[in-house]
Amino acid sequence: MGKRLLWSLVLSSALTATWVQAAEKTAIQVMHQGDPGFVAAYGKVAERFEAANPDVDVQFIYAPHDAYNEKFSAAVMAKQLPDVMELDAPFLANYVWSGYLQPIKPLIDKDLLDDMTESNIAQGTYPIDKDLYAIGLTDSSVVLYGNKKYLEAIGARIPKSVDDAWTWEEFETYLEKLSKLDGVKWPIDTFRGYGIKTEWITYAYGPILQSAGCDLIDRKAWKSGGTLDSDACADALAMMQKWVKNGWVVPQSAGTNQFFAEGNPAALALGGHWVYAEAAATMKDNIVVLPLPKFGAKGASPDGTWIWAITKTSAHPDIAGKFISFLLKDKEFRSFVASQSGYPGLKSFAAESPLYAPGGPMAIAFEQASKTAVARPPHPAYPTITSAFMQAVDEVFNGGDPKEALTSAANKIDQDIEDNDGYPPFGEEQ
Amino acid sequence: MVMQQSTSSTSVRKAPVRRHDKGRAMQEAAMLAPAVVLLTLFLILPFLLSFWTAMTNQPLVPRPTPVRFVWFNNFIRIFQDDLFWTALWNVSRFTFWIIPAQCGLAFATALLLHQKLPFRNLLRGMFFLPAITSMVVVCVIWGTLFQYPTGPFNQILGFLSGGAIQPIDWLGDPQWAMFSLVLLSAWQAYGFQMIVYLAGLQGIPDELYDAAKIDGANAFRRFWHVTMPGLRPTHVFVLVITTIQAFKLYTQVAILTQGGPKSSTETVVHYMVRAGFEEQKMGYASAVSVILFVIVLVIALIQRQLLRRFDV
Repeated sequence: MGKRLLWSLVLSSALTATWVQAAEKTAIQVMHQGDPGFVAAYGKVAERFEAANPDVDVQFIYAPHDAYNEKFSAAVMAKQLPDVMELDAPFLANYVWSGYLQPIKPLIDKDLLDDMTESNIAQGTYPIDKDLYAIGLTDSSVVLYGNKKYLEAIGARIPKSVDDAWTWEEFETYLEKLSKLDGVKWPIDTFRGYGIKTEWITYAYGPILQSAGCDLIDRKAWKSGGTLDSDACADALAMMQKWVKNGWVVPQSAGTNQFFAEGNPAALALGGHWVYAEAAATMKDNIVVLPLPKFGAKGASPDGTWIWAITKTSAHPDIAGKFISFLLKDKEFRSFVASQSGYPGLKSFAAESPLYAPGGPMAIAFEQASKTAVARPPHPAYPTITSAFMQAVDEVFNGGDPKEALTSAANKIDQDIEDNDGYPPFGEEQ
Repeated sequence: MVMQQSTSSTSVRKAPVRRHDKGRAMQEAAMLAPAVVLLTLFLILPFLLSFWTAMTNQPLVPRPTPVRFVWFNNFIRIFQDDLFWTALWNVSRFTFWIIPAQCGLAFATALLLHQKLPFRNLLRGMFFLPAITSMVVVCVIWGTLFQYPTGPFNQILGFLSGGAIQPIDWLGDPQWAMFSLVLLSAWQAYGFQMIVYLAGLQGIPDELYDAAKIDGANAFRRFWHVTMPGLRPTHVFVLVITTIQAFKLYTQVAILTQGGPKSSTETVVHYMVRAGFEEQKMGYASAVSVILFVIVLVIALIQRQLLRRFDV
């Protein structure tokens, strides 16, 4: 009898102990995207974070890249926003304007904030209150990769810095020469294989328009009509249409990575910085990294990537901030990102990435960030801006009239802005 | 389904009018209630709501700006949008192609499998298999088959023609993309129509065939004068169901072409999803759904007319 009582006491106290321990754990939800490598890396960071903070339980919500915004909208409507969320930088303005995010500065370690590069600060800043809402370890860029063997065969000039990038005429002359070269099936891979409805289109092709002297939207009046459908934009798209028509561009259905596919069927590649690691692994010394060509008076290159923010509804913003700080400082995570040719968004991370250091093979890509980077329009109408532009590009690449396609896109964007009363305070005199 | 329709509409004898006693009325109401509640909750109410939403500028997620009543502005914009008309034209084109392809295939296999073949049931199962395979899976597999320039379809065509047929960019060429979706869709879904046809064939009494044989009708005449008239209601049913399904074309587009190239595979439903979820314009998307509803309603009304004309 006495024994039984003792046992039940022991059991119940043990149960209570585990229950108390379980109750003490604070859960934070982290919503993210990413390829399998990154997903695994996040998981390992969380394990280390939990080991260092035994009272915290990190729960991941994976949302695939292609439907990320849709999934986020669903979370908003179900009132189940995560504490921490990864977001694509151009969508930041929409999220902040809609009231989902909170300023991040007080929640992140100060040394990390001081460590941010200029473009990293820019991609996480909301233009209206100029406050920082998101931070990332990385930023991004697009460069022109070249196959050294082919470029030498046509006697192309190899620019050494962003300042002496190829001009429009030079670029087209080379494309034409390359198209006649033995072994070259397509002069350039612009990664159409990513599909016709991906952010890649606005991200990579938008700067070509900006370099040609126009933009997706007027960034003062916040109106697209008169800007996106201007002659400069129509000419730039017409130029790209010509490349496609001439068979100079790898077709969408041929897949991606034709630049470093077997036999190197594409001589050039307009590719993201993330292409480098794989390309270099197969092409070795035969790869040269060039700045994006100048299609008008000035050069332009994209920036912005997936960055980390804390939602306004988070019950534990301090822990959320602690997790983000932990992630960005985690040594093993950093070395994984560096191995994926991750583009530095922190100065200390740049120092750890020989790839991007002066003299490094991707130094030109890093140089672009300070010299020619143009962010995608930081406006709450961005979801419509990018969707309308993708539609126009698909239309034009398949033979549609550039002016007509862009006018229709500009109309769609302006209608959306009108529907939302101009997204105040955007567009108001400031 | 078909049998049910024919019996219920041929026997239009009026039931004798009976005095309603209260208990029976209560019983009827109780039995109807679950269906009425569910239909109201999940069908009628959402439809009324979407009609209401269609006349506002309701965004997908709550926003700081007020939701306004915009009357028929969304509808006017939709009718002014070339892309919508392209989408409507595309589904019409799709429907026009898929009906002969899918129904023809279904009819042919049903006739074949109605014969007394060995392993008949196994064959029926095999032919029905694609219809119960998820469209998503089918699309992923066919995406590989369609690959350009080295996919299996292109290789087979090249081999059969001795290299005379150049590889076709099935999904990347505006001329071919919709046709490719027709091929895929017809193959995936014909099993359903086949089952309906089989049921229809089994509903034709054997005595009619025996009588025709005694009258000296050959196989073709038996088919033309017994099978075809016997299948009239089935034909109408299959035709209408296929048309309505075709108008709702979405999955194949979302997975394989995203409406491209050059909007050649943009469909009404895809246009609606794009407006609602990508551009976050719920009001606008609702207006598209209302238009789609009207189109499908018109088709359903035509169905009633056809059924009446064929006296079934």
